[in-house]
Amino acid sequence: MATSWPKKRRLIGTKIQRLDGPVKATGKAKYSYDINRPGMLHAVLLRCPHAHAKIKSLDAADAEKMPGVKAIYAIKKAGEELYWAGEEILGLAADTEEHALDAVRAVKIEYEVLPHIVKEEDALKEDRKTVSPVGGKRDNVLAAKDAADDAFDKGMTDAAVKVEGSYGVPVVCHQCLESHGLVAEWGEDGGLTVWASTQAVWGTAVELARYFAGKYKIDLPAEKVKCITHYMGGGFGSKFGPDIQGLVAAELARTAKAPVKLMLDRASEIVAGGNRPSAYGKVRIGATKDGKITAYEVDCYGTPGVGVTDTVTFNALPYVYPIAYKRKHTRIRTNAAMQRAMRAPNHPQNCTLTEFILDDLAAKLGMDPLQLRLKNLPQNDAEKAKIAPHSLDALKNTIYTREIEIAAALSKWKEKWHPPGKTDGVVKHGIGMALHTWGGQASPQSNECTVTIHADGSVVARTSTQDLGTGQRTVTALVTAEILGLEPGQITLEFGESTFGASTGSGGSTTIPSQSPATLRAATAARDDLFAKVAPKLDAKPEDLIVGVEGKILDKAKNKPWTWKEICARLDKEQAKGTGFWNYGESIKPDNRDVSSSGVGGVQIAEVLVDTETGVVRCTRIVAVQDCGMVVNPLTCESQVAGGVIMGLNYALFEERIMDRATGRMVNPDMEFYKLGGIEDMPQIVVHLHDMPERGVIGVGEPPVISTHAAIGNAIFNAIGARVGQTPFTPERVLAALAAKGGKR
Amino acid sequence: MKNFTYYRPKTAEQAVALLDDKWGTTELLAGGTDLLDLQKEYIAQPDKVIALRDVGINQLRLDGVDKKPDDFILGAGMTLAEIAAHGGLKEAFPALTTAAGDIGGPQIRNMGTLGGNLCQRNRCWYFRDEHTPCLLKGGDKCFAIDGENRYHAIFTQGHKCVIVNPSTLAPVLIALRATAEVLGPKGKRKLKLADFFHAPSSASEREHVLKPNELVLTVTIPYPKLKNASYEVRHKQSYDWPLVQAAVAFQYADNKATDVRIVLGHVAPTPHVADAAAKALEGKEVTEATASAAGEAAAQGAMPLSQNAYKVKLVSVAVKRALLTAAGRKKYWEV
Repeated sequence: MATSWPKKRRLIGTKIQRLDGPVKATGKAKYSYDINRPGMLHAVLLRCPHAHAKIKSLDAADAEKMPGVKAIYAIKKAGEELYWAGEEILGLAADTEEHALDAVRAVKIEYEVLPHIVKEEDALKEDRKTVSPVGGKRDNVLAAKDAADDAFDKGMTDAAVKVEGSYGVPVVCHQCLESHGLVAEWGEDGGLTVWASTQAVWGTAVELARYFAGKYKIDLPAEKVKCITHYMGGGFGSKFGPDIQGLVAAELARTAKAPVKLMLDRASEIVAGGNRPSAYGKVRIGATKDGKITAYEVDCYGTPGVGVTDTVTFNALPYVYPIAYKRKHTRIRTNAAMQRAMRAPNHPQNCTLTEFILDDLAAKLGMDPLQLRLKNLPQNDAEKAKIAPHSLDALKNTIYTREIEIAAALSKWKEKWHPPGKTDGVVKHGIGMALHTWGGQASPQSNECTVTIHADGSVVARTSTQDLGTGQRTVTALVTAEILGLEPGQITLEFGESTFGASTGSGGSTTIPSQSPATLRAATAARDDLFAKVAPKLDAKPEDLIVGVEGKILDKAKNKPWTWKEICARLDKEQAKGTGFWNYGESIKPDNRDVSSSGVGGVQIAEVLVDTETGVVRCTRIVAVQDCGMVVNPLTCESQVAGGVIMGLNYALFEERIMDRATGRMVNPDMEFYKLGGIEDMPQIVVHLHDMPERGVIGVGEPPVISTHAAIGNAIFNAIGARVGQTPFTPERVLAALAAKGGKR
Repeated sequence: MKNFTYYRPKTAEQAVALLDDKWGTTELLAGGTDLLDLQKEYIAQPDKVIALRDVGINQLRLDGVDKKPDDFILGAGMTLAEIAAHGGLKEAFPALTTAAGDIGGPQIRNMGTLGGNLCQRNRCWYFRDEHTPCLLKGGDKCFAIDGENRYHAIFTQGHKCVIVNPSTLAPVLIALRATAEVLGPKGKRKLKLADFFHAPSSASEREHVLKPNELVLTVTIPYPKLKNASYEVRHKQSYDWPLVQAAVAFQYADNKATDVRIVLGHVAPTPHVADAAAKALEGKEVTEATASAAGEAAAQGAMPLSQNAYKVKLVSVAVKRALLTAAGRKKYWEV
């Protein structure tokens, strides 16, 4: 049967406050960090202090004798090589965290310290082959990928105006407010329960079951492994699966026969909790005199740490704009923690390598960069429009054009924009913009939701999915309430436990487009089941019962209204129940089209004040215009966008993983010198949701983070007329750019 | 963290009696904003921790009422928040209250004390890393000199360790000619704040000249009605250390600055008294031009490291802005 959203929507599209706001604000909400179990032990991980070393010997005998120590689990053994400072060697559980911390320091390890490379430029100077073998090779610098468009050479040759520049973004670290970790407890039935800070409740349980069943040849059916994540303090791509600390905690709990808590401390969270890889590139661009871009060339590199993945989205360079291209990307493996997905993986890097040079070009052309962008936007794809009229390809030009118009109006672009560097005073105002794009479709694997209606009128919506702080919990209640004619607060949520049905990890902005239709289906099915069960008792036909206005159930044949309670009371000793599932496959069935969809644009405009004597940049205002199809809850959606903007602002102005060449260690694994803006550093954030209900639900978690730093970078360029090509835009770099320009105010 | 014995003496004399005469085995605990971090990070591992909360040094007294301008006598246990919010201090020493109010965040200011601010350990990331054996932890080299030194000293001549002194109250108090009263086993002694600090280069030295068994009781600021101000250039506006700080104080009569004192923070292992800058302004009206010239003079002698030459320019700007602020001139940098 076809699935579709109600034509008339009472709740969807209205601002509904977070249902869990009060419990979070009062501290009643229990996060993984807050879970304390009877007899619980505290575990810590011993990490390698060297960036590259071989373990000559490892002796934990003294550590075992330390006060309070209950279990030790060796991750590495003598003879093994370690490839980054922070790599996990051993886990240890003790009665208190302090005892555990003291005890790991009693583990005696002799290292053979080996050469390391922690900075990209060092590897480019001399490849010392300091990383783990991949395909038998230890090369730091991997063979470059390159590709070119047939039209590139002609495009560049014909270009009347050419501009080139160097741009870059460093490695930045995940900084979840709640660090990675969990509490693990084995039950008397041989089952395992974990309270984990995870973006994948279901997946974590599945992985743990598979790992322990396989390793110890024990019977550990999926239902005996339970992952609970009722509340979590943020996850941005770095918290999928049990992770090493999850496996170690469960191993220690198994050995000690006691529950074990293992949450990463702040330094570990920053060093080992995942990072966004760097990207530095030389970019060249050619255009006609009237601003039609004819060719784009990029040669870039970045480090995924000890990983091997690209640090840009290679096939999306240039970003957003369709231009004849020539592209080259080199991956540099360094002795540092492997990159992990971070909110819109690789898109901010692509945005860096595309959006900055557009403004440099506009300056050379003497053009308003907004006009330059309008001139070079992708066109609507007429062919795609025939098969999928609401797809991004079919609407790209329309969406971006409209979003640019809205952003320009909200930021007063026409009044505020001035040619780069053309303002008086020591503190200069600038305004800049950037565009982005993202997918946000339903997950390929199924998400389930079950809605149960009880005779007392209470309704339970049950799903194993997780609420990372996004507002998913509220959205699940909202959609259920919409279909049943209730208020969101009337829905009881059973949420965030792996035994509540299948769900997928919250990655790729897939949660809301997967969960909302599943909830829609579940609530619809529960409603239909209710009507089928109570209709005979009401002397009505099920198909005549409808959810009317003000929560009344209407027998439309008799035009008789019933209250929800009256209707549910007729269930007597029964329940009404409905289960729904959704996945990408469902979303593209012709019958289900426009329930959930994929592909968004997004435009951001930033304003800055640059103190040209100190180089200090203050971002004063950001306008973020974002589409995500049908906006289910504008309140939590706006929060998502504002959160993305804040993260993007930190990327622009403050964040940087600083590696020490000599020791190979990160020198700023703290919240002191790994800088994150505080309240005084925050601009006014104006969020405009470009609501397109006809497109269905699309995820929005990731896109708003992508272009903020580029908009800020362009605003700085607009302010001072000099390009600061690398983030973070520190006073030092701003001063250097001003000095290079000639010290002109 | 190594187990320690916690003492809570009732008098300063009892506290002093508990202190060892060498560094490392005993530590004084005031607000704890620095010591607890150092302990948790295995940098400080004392056997005894001596809490100062009950020793009665958390008051502000005014001395010399009716006769001469008041001396302000600040108990070393006063919190940064108390200093920042004190009306009398605000009026007399805006440099001090501004600097105190800009330290850390509210939690730090509510706990951190004047004495702690003066005696805190430096923030060098090599010193703070348990696994990096730097000079101050008994190692044989300073890792910052050839390493990551963007926030380190620019006045480096003669220094084996290139930390910056982290106190932002210190430059202000030196500019205001403050004096500390210190208690040791042999009794009290007075010490000019200008003589209080020291550039350490080994594990047996601290960032100040106090002996391991001395503690700060009070800081006295004379009140000769000096114009004064402190200006910090900061990367972040919330919760950050200054990149550089300038504290200035001078007499100002008939549009002439005299008795000028200019002290820089976060540029050297100790607060840096910029005599050349003071001299450049002496006897002159404070204008953008003279403040600018003083700023240029303040940067004289700077020998920046590989990554921090930018701080030299910031010194000049901070001095200029501090002088203009103190003189009540237009803050052209505020829009």
